[in-house]
Amino acid sequence: MMDKKIRKVLVANRSVPAVRVIQTCQDRKIPTTAVYSTPDRLAAHVFMATDAVHIGEAPPIESYLNMEKIIAAARKSGANAIHPGWGFLSENTKFARMVVDAGLIWIGPSSDVIHMMGDKIESKKIAIAADVPTIPGINSPKNAEEIRRWMKEEDVAFPVIIKASSGGGGKGMVKVSSDPEIENALAQARSEGKKSFGNDEVLVEKFIEKGRHIEVQIIADQHGNVIHLYERECTLQRRNQKIIEEAPSPSIDDDIRRSICETAVRLMQKIGYSSAGTVEFLFDSATSRFYFLEVNTRLQVEHGITELVTGVDIVSLMLDVAEGEKLPFAQEDINPNRWALEVRLNAEDPATFSPSFGNISRLHLNLYPGVRVSQGVYEGSDIPPYYDSLIMLLMTSGPDRETAIMKMDSILCRNLRVEGVKTLAPMLLSIIRHEDFISGDFSTRFIEEHMDELVSKFTEDDSEEEALKIARYVAEISALGTPNWI
Amino acid sequence: MIDSVFVKPGMSPKEIVSCVRNLGAIALTSTGMRDAGQSDYKNRLRMRDLSTLSSEYDAMGLFSSECHGGARWHVGIMNRRESPFEEIALLREKMPNVLLQTLVRETNLWGYRPYPKNIIEHVISRVDIDVWRCFSFLNDVRNMRTVAEIVMKRGRLFQPAISFTQADWTTNAYYLGLVREMVDLCGGTDEIILCVKDMAGVGSPRRIHSLFDSIKQAWPDLVLQYHRHATDGLALPAILAAAQAGAGIVDVEEDSLTRFFGQAPLLSVASYLEESGLKVHLNRKDADVAVQKVREWIGHYEWAESPFKGFDYGVVMHRMPGGAFPSSFEQAQKGGFLHLMPAILKVMSLYNQIVKYFDVTPGSQVTWVTCSGIVNHYAKERGMAGVNHVIQLLARFVEEKNQEFDALMPEDQEELLHLFRTAPGDFRQLIMGNYGKLPMGWPADWVYTSTFGDEGREKIGQRREDSPLDALPDEDLARMRHELTEQLDRSVSEEEFILYLMHPKDALDFIRFREKYGDAPRVLPTDVWHSGLKRAGAKVEFEYRGVPYSIERVSIGAEHDGIIHAVMKVNNQMRVFKIETPRAKKEEIRMAKGLSDIGAPINGTVWRIGNPERGAVKAGDIVHKGEEIANLEAMKMENAIFAPYDAQIVEIPVKINQMVRQGQLLFVLEEVKQVE
Repeated sequence: MMDKKIRKVLVANRSVPAVRVIQTCQDRKIPTTAVYSTPDRLAAHVFMATDAVHIGEAPPIESYLNMEKIIAAARKSGANAIHPGWGFLSENTKFARMVVDAGLIWIGPSSDVIHMMGDKIESKKIAIAADVPTIPGINSPKNAEEIRRWMKEEDVAFPVIIKASSGGGGKGMVKVSSDPEIENALAQARSEGKKSFGNDEVLVEKFIEKGRHIEVQIIADQHGNVIHLYERECTLQRRNQKIIEEAPSPSIDDDIRRSICETAVRLMQKIGYSSAGTVEFLFDSATSRFYFLEVNTRLQVEHGITELVTGVDIVSLMLDVAEGEKLPFAQEDINPNRWALEVRLNAEDPATFSPSFGNISRLHLNLYPGVRVSQGVYEGSDIPPYYDSLIMLLMTSGPDRETAIMKMDSILCRNLRVEGVKTLAPMLLSIIRHEDFISGDFSTRFIEEHMDELVSKFTEDDSEEEALKIARYVAEISALGTPNWI
Repeated sequence: MIDSVFVKPGMSPKEIVSCVRNLGAIALTSTGMRDAGQSDYKNRLRMRDLSTLSSEYDAMGLFSSECHGGARWHVGIMNRRESPFEEIALLREKMPNVLLQTLVRETNLWGYRPYPKNIIEHVISRVDIDVWRCFSFLNDVRNMRTVAEIVMKRGRLFQPAISFTQADWTTNAYYLGLVREMVDLCGGTDEIILCVKDMAGVGSPRRIHSLFDSIKQAWPDLVLQYHRHATDGLALPAILAAAQAGAGIVDVEEDSLTRFFGQAPLLSVASYLEESGLKVHLNRKDADVAVQKVREWIGHYEWAESPFKGFDYGVVMHRMPGGAFPSSFEQAQKGGFLHLMPAILKVMSLYNQIVKYFDVTPGSQVTWVTCSGIVNHYAKERGMAGVNHVIQLLARFVEEKNQEFDALMPEDQEELLHLFRTAPGDFRQLIMGNYGKLPMGWPADWVYTSTFGDEGREKIGQRREDSPLDALPDEDLARMRHELTEQLDRSVSEEEFILYLMHPKDALDFIRFREKYGDAPRVLPTDVWHSGLKRAGAKVEFEYRGVPYSIERVSIGAEHDGIIHAVMKVNNQMRVFKIETPRAKKEEIRMAKGLSDIGAPINGTVWRIGNPERGAVKAGDIVHKGEEIANLEAMKMENAIFAPYDAQIVEIPVKINQMVRQGQLLFVLEEVKQVE
């Protein structure tokens, strides 16, 4: 029997996820090892960890996706467990297997389960077998003609969506609105799939208009106990990437809630899941039906809001499960009693979602009652162009949705300053102030449908920003002397 | 204190006129917030300082505060970086009892070209001013029609102004003719106040008495206001003469603001008139406080004062208006021809007998550019001797030969026939009638030959007799607004649009300045605004949006590669500002502009140029509509760039794996038309 006691955790990630995992390890006095690429030499996660190992150059394939180097780093630093965070290698079957084969503890579901669920086509088959409703679609079409034939036979109308079968996080997903776009869309989904996941297989599904994205958080141990931690609503997306999430979902009633959570548990029991994972559904509010989308076999970005409403530490539970412990509670012990909201503060131009790289010259956040912050950067950090644009997660919670929104408004509007790079903050504020968001009436297309309106409502009236403009003037005149135009 | 206030915003023109008629005392308009600054401080007096006087203005019983218009608008956006709209808003808030007065040109408004009717209407109807003093440098009353109509329709007070000068041809009969036209234009005397605008300060007391007396005799009910500059040193007796002859309101400025070219000092005028037996409506106590307050900040404007000091009695000949004095001398100083100023003024005094109009904007600019141009031309070609030569030539022609061209020697004739060849475009426009009717008719025919050469004769036949109001076609305002939206790449406010209509280029500069430096022009004290913080530890403190701010200079580094790092404490927090000096290397990034340019839709990396089917593409290749020609990657998302039409690639200014900015030029294409 292998020693299952975690003595030191190597976190195979960077920025927000790495910091998040290290935080729980610090709570539990478990030493940690960070890994970093060359441009991340001075990144936040590097200094939070007990020690840090350089694993390669900037391109992810040479560093954060470089399995051999990461395992070598664990050996070198004496870590006996690896937590992959989210993104990068977190859903990589081969890596999960390599970790175990190297005699290290993999903090996550088994490689077999990852493999099973990692392929959208396979997982859909399993879901159907487990009596979980799925969206009409076609698996592995070879060319555009095959997609057209399927649409004709099944009487499917545009739009449809092409997904890289091993995709995730919005990558490799392309919506097709009309017939002539099929070829280019297919090529793009294949190419992105190949580049991000090394697999160019795709599936095509009917695109459900006005769909809402609801997912159920699962935690399971290695002894067959599968418990759900209720659902999250992740409907607000841009380019298929979530930017605002909340728990509970404002779009479903208790009957559907029970039904969707039990369906998720049933599926996860069926596949013998352990560790933390998420079952994603698309909810068609027009028909009140939900469809299985996929299983995320990892910790999710938005796990924090579930922690806020249930009080559990999911990362800590992942460590327990990886050590072979039984879950310390039963389903009936989980009683959410709060509403939590999360926004993803990406370093992006809020009006175009174009990434914004550079140096964070100022980062200031007033702590505030009812706020949780998960940040992957510090004041002075560089944001290199090679990786994800997420720099910080802001979460608020309160007894009800209004309170959570109110607190988020206060944070975004008066208590957060990021200078040097652009962030989504103005867009996020604009969204949470929109009447349709407040009333809970939105779909995955909310942002694209309201883009101009949201941008037009960016509040530019920021006193500190304005004071800095004045200071810039004083600095320039002091440095350069009286200007000739004066 | 409110007792002193006898007219207020919101009153109808009729009520205002009636209040002035029944006042039983001479009322005062303070030009402290506009013309005083324009005439002696190049319009650099800032809102922040001037508005300190508002609480006194609000109580001292002025007829109005002239705080707007003239060149203040343009200098505001160009030099003070203040918007005339925020100025009005601030003054409305701080002195709600005071009528705000502007000075507007009849077709040029606050810009320098005649605007078509629809622009005049659009602008005039959106500027919140109570008293509209409107003048024409040609005294072409026809040109005032549009402004008069809109102002009166809005229920605001229209104040037609006669541009006054003292010359043999400006007789009482001439002025009475103008008054008649103005009274007719405005439907009588009950809703207007008529202004005599002595913009150069040349009216002798006797001449002024005679003029006001004759107007008053013809229209006893007409309320008259006298606007007079002090340049000739005779402002006080001239004002007394006007008041004695029936002027109801006179223009003055705070005594502590007076220098040489603005209006007469307020407390002195009030005392002098009272001693002469006239009553003056003024709360002296408040007026005195205002006068003292000026001393708290006027010392910060020494740099703005005219380099030419002292009264200038010569003004009665050269007639340079007070409002143009400091700016003209500044131009002469910057242009390195300050020493030629006496010659230029002399040429002006001869020129204004050849082409007759009134030296006030835009006429004064035409005079200035034309005359300084002639003198500079001679100075460059032949030195001081040349300058003296041209003055003698003009004096011979005007003074000796009484402008009889044929009486001149042939060589003098020949020289005059070339004198205006380099005159500015505005001079040409003027003598062609494009600004309106010249007050004493067209200049002599030789002036046309002198200006246009052989085409002179032809040009004489093309002179216009109609008003520019009737001649200019309307502009497409929607298109102009769109133009500004494109330039700023955002939606624009109505006020920004109006600024743009008046001065397109300068308004853009202004808007961009304020986007970058925010409210610096509004909140910084004048010494810091002008010179910054001079040493480490120096700080500036101010209140902004209801909270205190402090900006302290910590250190300013040495220049490296055109960059200076300045460390400042902003409310105790250290801030580093990277400042580019004029020597900074500009990183040239070519942006996509025209239809043939393909720009990056997003910040990212160019990871493929071409597409998987055909491989890489290069300059010279033909690409087809809808074909992918490049692909950008940003945060692991792909963004395909498609050819918008069949085209040949002219240039690919980026390399594979290059990071590009949104909008950066990726391809220059040339459309290929299908030839069947």
